[in-house]
Amino acid sequence: MEKDERPSWDNPMQFVLACVSYAVGLGNVWRFPYLCQMHGGGGFMIPYMIMLVLEGIPLFSMELAIGQKMRMGSIGAWTAINPYLGGVGIASVITSLYLCLYYNVINAWSFWYLFHSFQSVLPWATCPLNSNQTGYLEECEVATPTQYFFYRETLNISSSIDDSGGVHMGQALCLVLAWMIVYLFIVKGVKSTGKVVYFTATFPYLVLFIYLIRGVTLHGAMNGVKYMFTPKLEQLANPQTWINAATQIFFSLGLGFGSLIAFASYNQYHNNFERQAVIVSLINSGTSVFASIVTFSIYGFKATFNYESCLERVRLLLLNTFDMAEDTISLDNIDYWISELNRTHPDQFASLAPKLDTCDLEAELDTAVEGTGLAFIVYSEAIKNMPASQFWSVLYFSMLLLLGMGSMLGNVTAIITPLRDFKVLARNFSNETLNGLVCLFCLLLGLGFTTRSGNYWFTMFNEYGATFSLLFIVLIEVVTVSYIYGLKRFEKDIEDMLGHRPNWYWKIMWAVVSPVLLISLFIFYIVDYIRGGTPTYQAWNPDLGKSVVMEYPWYGQAFIALLLATSVCCVPATALYAFCKKKQKPVPSHEHTVSAISGL
Amino acid sequence: MFPLLLLLCLPPALAAVDCNTEYKNGYQVRLSIKTALGDQAYDWNESEMFLFRATIAFAMRKFNKTEAYEVSNIVVCNQTPRVSFWFIVTSPEDPAQAISKNIVEQAVRESRNRINNAFLLTDKSLEFLGIPPTLAAPIIPATPPWLIVFGVVIGAVCAGIVALLVTSFVKRRREKKAKVVPEEEDQAKGTDKAVTGETFEDRNGVYNLGFADDDRFTQL
Repeated sequence: MEKDERPSWDNPMQFVLACVSYAVGLGNVWRFPYLCQMHGGGGFMIPYMIMLVLEGIPLFSMELAIGQKMRMGSIGAWTAINPYLGGVGIASVITSLYLCLYYNVINAWSFWYLFHSFQSVLPWATCPLNSNQTGYLEECEVATPTQYFFYRETLNISSSIDDSGGVHMGQALCLVLAWMIVYLFIVKGVKSTGKVVYFTATFPYLVLFIYLIRGVTLHGAMNGVKYMFTPKLEQLANPQTWINAATQIFFSLGLGFGSLIAFASYNQYHNNFERQAVIVSLINSGTSVFASIVTFSIYGFKATFNYESCLERVRLLLLNTFDMAEDTISLDNIDYWISELNRTHPDQFASLAPKLDTCDLEAELDTAVEGTGLAFIVYSEAIKNMPASQFWSVLYFSMLLLLGMGSMLGNVTAIITPLRDFKVLARNFSNETLNGLVCLFCLLLGLGFTTRSGNYWFTMFNEYGATFSLLFIVLIEVVTVSYIYGLKRFEKDIEDMLGHRPNWYWKIMWAVVSPVLLISLFIFYIVDYIRGGTPTYQAWNPDLGKSVVMEYPWYGQAFIALLLATSVCCVPATALYAFCKKKQKPVPSHEHTVSAISGL
Repeated sequence: MFPLLLLLCLPPALAAVDCNTEYKNGYQVRLSIKTALGDQAYDWNESEMFLFRATIAFAMRKFNKTEAYEVSNIVVCNQTPRVSFWFIVTSPEDPAQAISKNIVEQAVRESRNRINNAFLLTDKSLEFLGIPPTLAAPIIPATPPWLIVFGVVIGAVCAGIVALLVTSFVKRRREKKAKVVPEEEDQAKGTDKAVTGETFEDRNGVYNLGFADDDRFTQL
């Protein structure tokens, strides 16, 4: 009898922290600052906030309402809303599965970097020596030590997706550890998750705060922060800015995966999810802004460091070529001396010209990076130049780990909750066994990402596995709730739960604004895919020391199509299945009775 | 190439060797004292030059244990304000003959550390152009340090998982044993209690969807 009672959060705070922990993830740290930089710094806040109000908060609240009302995972919830649309839930679960597979690989990399920070000299600070110890390894010379450490020692990346190579043992071990920790956090379902989120939701803020203090006190940090906050309002006229703001809000809140429905299904029936939805969305966006201040102060530090190193190189070159005493040229009067020497010794200066780097602080700040490149290459490069770099490195990668683990909790819960709703599975497998099997399954498939070409598959999953399908899923969700299920019924459900009807803001957003926005995003994505031609990826070239663009082979493109098709097709397939099942249902018994009485 | 801003040729100690003509056997040295030492930089003067010649002589003696090189065997020329100059090593027996480049290179490489330390400089700030520094061999510990931290963490996680699984298993066994005793009592009292039990649970929050759906359909 106790098995039938649905487990629930110990208190509403756990639910809020779980949502915060899930929504605040790596995207806040590595995607938002990039978008800010690309689309006019401080000016990007305007489209971002507008999209939050138009799209983010309403959709977030809608998913929480569904979960809290139906008290089941995504499959059960959508089947209950409309039997033909149970496929939406299945599509959510499949998308969550894809996400789980590749997202934990990022945690594995974070573990790798974290463990390697416990050394007197950070391994990405210097290049390893070549065989006869006269210089550094060639690949490291053409690239930078941080890039070398990431591509060669962490990933041991091959030069194209065709070259699969073997499994990188260190990565595989870290992935096993990552999955074991996820299992430890979810082994008892909501009871264990609820306690873990106190830590995973709050500790990253502590680290971000410490980094903020450290960041703004670094030399040159203000250059970065100023660069970020000077708004370039002309970017607002660019439609790409608005599209990116909409997609960032959408993906950052984690809509469509079914995690929010799963979390909300463990709530008390009368929990005030409306207020919680607003709070969590605002916290998520606030964290993005906070994280980008930290990121830009680090950028500013790194750019200033590189700029001053460049000036130092130029100074030494001038001193050595013209044999002047060391204190004649300093960093301040370098420009004066360049023109002076050009005037007095034009021939020698001309021969020097190809070796002379132009040092430009703006150009350094302009190098916008996002994703794993930002987190693992740019940040580690900045950290290695800080004093007490081991401490900062440990702190930073612990924060990345907690952000990633917090999101993983939501992702895995989105898979497990619908599975547990199937009575067949719940009866035959205990909580612990089912969770363990899911984790084991994902671990075994995830080992494919630890091969030498694993990073290329990772990028494929990252770009195609969950982007298009999510737009489709959430579009179907909002149209279903507003029109098929009926806004009136939904209002009544909410009144049942909260005690008051949703006001005009919610109704207009659910019925009109969000569907229109989603349809336009959807159309934009399709147009972009078609116009983009053959999908390409960035392959690391060890001889050049940088990434080159390559096209996916035929099986890569087929796999992309498979990723998209498997989740999207669930919706029509399930609808068809439900339709066929209904057709095959035997005629109800009361009709037989009627015909018998009338003698027909 | 020979940048000639200021030529301060030291009078050669022995007239025979002029390092201008013998430059193919010589090496250029460049010191960056102010960059390396900042406030504690010393000025480059005759005494420092004497020290340099003495250390090179020392290096040659150390390399070639039979020959007794003197400071006078080290010939220096083309000093510039950058603090760079050329030097040639001459043989102690025949001051007119210069020692070949290879031998000088090997000698300098062997004693590079001592030469650097005599001037409080490093490989980067005391450059011998043409002699690449022997980079320090990295210390490779027996177990990579990351594996140690990994071992600690994964051990703790395993312990945590085992602890959680064991406690839940023990709890379930205990509950099963406790359920066996009251169930026997229930069977004696009949089904009434069972019925009340279910409705009580319904009130606790098992949401009966069958009920709700009926409501919905009638409204439409």
